[in-house]
Amino acid sequence: MHSRSKNSAHFFINAATVAAELSEVLTEAKNISLEAMNAKALVARAGDNVRTFKPITDFMVELANDTIWLVKEINREALVLSRTSLNELHSSDANARFATAQQKASAAPHVETLDPIAKEAYNEHHQQSVQLRRHMRKLFELLDEIESRMLAANVVTATSRLEAATAADSYQASLEGIVIKLEKAANRIKHIATKCRHSLER
Amino acid sequence: MKVVKLHEGRSHEWLVFGRDEERPSKIIDTNQYMIKTTNHAIMLDPGGIELFSAMLAAVVHHVPVNQITHLFASHQDPDIISSLGLWDKTLPHAELHAPWLWEGFLRHFGCNSIRYNPLPDEGKSIRLDDIEIQFIPAHYMHSSGNFSVYDPQAKILMSGDIGAALLPDGAPLFVEDFDAHVEKMRLFHQRWMPSNRAKKDWVRRVRQLDIEYMAPQHGAIFKGRDVQRFLDWLDELEVGTGIGH
Repeated sequence: MHSRSKNSAHFFINAATVAAELSEVLTEAKNISLEAMNAKALVARAGDNVRTFKPITDFMVELANDTIWLVKEINREALVLSRTSLNELHSSDANARFATAQQKASAAPHVETLDPIAKEAYNEHHQQSVQLRRHMRKLFELLDEIESRMLAANVVTATSRLEAATAADSYQASLEGIVIKLEKAANRIKHIATKCRHSLER
Repeated sequence: MKVVKLHEGRSHEWLVFGRDEERPSKIIDTNQYMIKTTNHAIMLDPGGIELFSAMLAAVVHHVPVNQITHLFASHQDPDIISSLGLWDKTLPHAELHAPWLWEGFLRHFGCNSIRYNPLPDEGKSIRLDDIEIQFIPAHYMHSSGNFSVYDPQAKILMSGDIGAALLPDGAPLFVEDFDAHVEKMRLFHQRWMPSNRAKKDWVRRVRQLDIEYMAPQHGAIFKGRDVQRFLDWLDELEVGTGIGH
């Protein structure tokens, strides 16, 4: 029971840690949003010179908004997961203690009066375990989602580099700067999401 | 877990549960009590969470679990009542009688189903079938909200931490040599009890009761003349010695 409790305890700490790590992702997503606004302004100013850059800025805005939404969802789910894993830990402990009492009292005249309580504790633990698995699956799905968005961002940055290279000289440096910032933010978000996943898988 | 019948009357019994040989080595030994009447039972200071399984197993040797309709906690310490969350699952329809002062604190142990019946500072009595059970104020002895339990029929005073002694494993359940026992109580009372005034007040109240057994939550039970000897000893003892260290 102790080793299992220890694992569960690590798990709810890790889930809480994930929620904390994600605050950095939120900052990066807000940076992408800011860069997207800069890019939009630049595209509007440059007109036909950087016309092909417009879909890229639209993508950046969408990416930033989606990421912010996803981070909020992951954060919420990580907190729910942390609470659920704590409930699971408590119900597992209660279940084990009732089972021990039943075992110790096997020869007692009123041992059968423990049966409904022990059964209830067992059922509650089972329900909590199901809940825990459900919330874990949901959290992993959200982390998958954010990672795949960042992979898409990498593809777009590659395209953007080419577009920036063909833009008029006066806009080239600014566009390349925006692409670099987008790439850095996407990589950072992907790195944190992967770290969160590993921390939960541990 | 050893179980000893402290009193067996026509209408009720007192049982003491303690000296659990399987308890984790670093936790203090505790005595738990149960008063069993025809249709009800009350557990007095049911103990810490680490003792819960052993206690529950011991209890069902004597009563069906649904006969336990009341719990009592003399104060808020974990060795008294940290098992509350598990009793809450076991006895969802029971009542907990405990100091009003500690309600918001005790609920941290988990008290979702059990009804918390706050004991007023001046104490109160309840009836279980034909038995009257009195909750006697013992504030600051040692906790700031604290009660003893008195059964006038059985003449038993459950005194909580008052009269407690730190004894080695396997020590007898009753005080056999009062003079030798005093040294096992002295430090506990001097250091845990904060107020000479509170001590005098409790001794004065308790001297008015007819007591055959004084049953503390740790250590050994006093019987007969040793009860008065204990009250005399406590009356003279300087407590609150932690100040100035």
